[in-house]
Amino acid sequence: MAKALHSLQGRLLMLVLGLVVGVWLATAAMTWWDVRHELDELLDAHLAQAAALLVVQQAREIEEGDHEIDSPTLHRYAPKVAFQVFHEGRLALRSANAPDWPMAAPGQRLQAGFRTVAIDGIAWRVFATHGAERDVQVYVGEQVSSRDSILHAVLRSTLWPMAVALPLLALAAGWAVYWGIAPLRRLGRALAQRAPHALHPLTLDGAPSEMTPMLEALNGLFARIAALMASERQFTADAAHELRTPIAAIRAQAQVALGEADDARRRHALLATLQGCDRAAHLIEQLLTLSRLEAGSAPALVLLDLSALVRAVVADIAPRALQKQQTIELDAADGCQVQGDAALLAVLVRNLVDNAVRYGPAKAIVTVVVARQPSCVLLKVEDSGPGMTESELQRLGERLFRVLGSGEGGSGLGWSIVKRVAAAHLATAHVTRSVALGGLRVEIRWPAILSAAPSMRQAT
Amino acid sequence: MRILLAEDDPLLGDGLQAGLRQLGFQVDWVRDGEAAQRELRAQDYVAAVLDLGLPRMDGLEVLASVRRAGVKLPVLVLTARDAVTDRIRGLDGGADDYVVKPVDLHELAARLRALVRRAHGQPQECLTAHGVVLDPAAREVRQAGLPVALSTREFDLLHALMLNAGRVLSREQLEQQLYSWGQEVDSNAVEVHVHHLRRKLGNSLIQTVRGVGYTLVRSPAEPG
Repeated sequence: MAKALHSLQGRLLMLVLGLVVGVWLATAAMTWWDVRHELDELLDAHLAQAAALLVVQQAREIEEGDHEIDSPTLHRYAPKVAFQVFHEGRLALRSANAPDWPMAAPGQRLQAGFRTVAIDGIAWRVFATHGAERDVQVYVGEQVSSRDSILHAVLRSTLWPMAVALPLLALAAGWAVYWGIAPLRRLGRALAQRAPHALHPLTLDGAPSEMTPMLEALNGLFARIAALMASERQFTADAAHELRTPIAAIRAQAQVALGEADDARRRHALLATLQGCDRAAHLIEQLLTLSRLEAGSAPALVLLDLSALVRAVVADIAPRALQKQQTIELDAADGCQVQGDAALLAVLVRNLVDNAVRYGPAKAIVTVVVARQPSCVLLKVEDSGPGMTESELQRLGERLFRVLGSGEGGSGLGWSIVKRVAAAHLATAHVTRSVALGGLRVEIRWPAILSAAPSMRQAT
Repeated sequence: MRILLAEDDPLLGDGLQAGLRQLGFQVDWVRDGEAAQRELRAQDYVAAVLDLGLPRMDGLEVLASVRRAGVKLPVLVLTARDAVTDRIRGLDGGADDYVVKPVDLHELAARLRALVRRAHGQPQECLTAHGVVLDPAAREVRQAGLPVALSTREFDLLHALMLNAGRVLSREQLEQQLYSWGQEVDSNAVEVHVHHLRRKLGNSLIQTVRGVGYTLVRSPAEPG
């Protein structure tokens, strides 16, 4: 049963057959009730009429002489019908099957009208009446079971065809349902036959309109998965491409170290090998960050203090800048709140500041500004590094474009990461030549949070 | 053999330069496309290793530009771009070999030697002239079957002369082949090395063309 309910065909079949049987039974019940009512009325009328006849006849016979008569049985149904005629309390006339005593409830006086009484354990429908002068009493009775058998005969003739038709109907309904859900089976077969990695849209010839939304949803899903897989493939290809140079460097340096007899030169090659490993590790981290960003899961945005976040990142990177004798300055206004994901924003800020420090020469200047502006919150990172030419600025953001020739190994993924993190926060990212310092100027602007109290601070 | 290495990645460039030096090449290293183009046109290298993703000028542009300028030296493209279309574009764009990073240093050296050999019309692995056999891969010279001990410079000088057998090479050309940037060159270094070679291999092998340079006359048995 439970299994049948899990099959669409089983459900439909059970529903249809159940409803049909229900409707039939209801029809039968109504027929029974109706027939019984009509039958009762008809037969009661006959009883009443028969009683009236007997009263009239008895009135005439009184004049002819008074004697008890048993009437003959003329029909096989006659034993089921009985009558009695009493004259002045004495039985004057009765049918063969009628008792000697009145067919009224024992000890009761005659009451005109219909009632059902039990005589020798058999239920009788009895009509009682009396003549105009109350000396003649007439009882006409009929076994209730005879009425029931008529009723049953009528019902049988109604229900028999139904009982015969039910299995046929079940077969027909089963066939109809089977053909009705054929498109579903076709869809199932088409899905089962698809290669595991097939992502082309599914087309089903002659698919019914009810299945169109399902097919469209399915094809939409296929398209999304295909896009996701294409992006994954692209990522894998990009990652392989990006990793080739660092690995080539590690390999070359390791081979140099192996073949080098001179200790100082071997040490140099080994240090370079280690450096290459660090670089590859950093690159992998960047690639994974980018991959997570491209997977498209929207970050959970919470209200956070951008100034504090930037302060922490700059504090983290500052020692390296100082090692390179660079000057790094932070000017962070209070109350610069943005909606964001702390981890992602830290990645963004770290990429910008790290980029400025990494590509800046010794003694370069790096300034970081966080400020509230009337319509936005601004993060600005400027440096006095080598900057970029116009064409380099234009190519920036092409996924594999690196800022090259800086003497520092970079992957060029940093800017891609910055742009994607910014986009995920509805922030804009712009990079231009720094007028003040001569290097790069990167500006990230977050839309101002409307609910925050308007600040009087104005960025300069 | 003096080659030009154009590679912008500091770690890889450093490794390739050191590694190829270990394997007997003189390596000049430039880090951007413009420098590569300038040096290839100005200097006499036997081969070049060219990265494609170079700053300022893409490797393929460098290649097209020097080929247009008539520079014929064999160029080995060493790149991270591994798509078939990239390889086709590289080879059709004038590269003689296309190698995807990372590469084994020994393989890179062998490919470079093969390129140089073919560029000089030498199908055999070893160069032979007047009973002297030079094996570039093993960096070995034999005369009448017996090994001859040569210094690095002497070997390189002999290699250059044997590769260019039948051509006269000037002292400057030979110097360019022997020394990479930053190496001190004595004014009479070539003469000294030629003198040593003659002492070790006999006077008849290398001939002086007065006022022009040196040459190695093809032995009659040699093809070409």
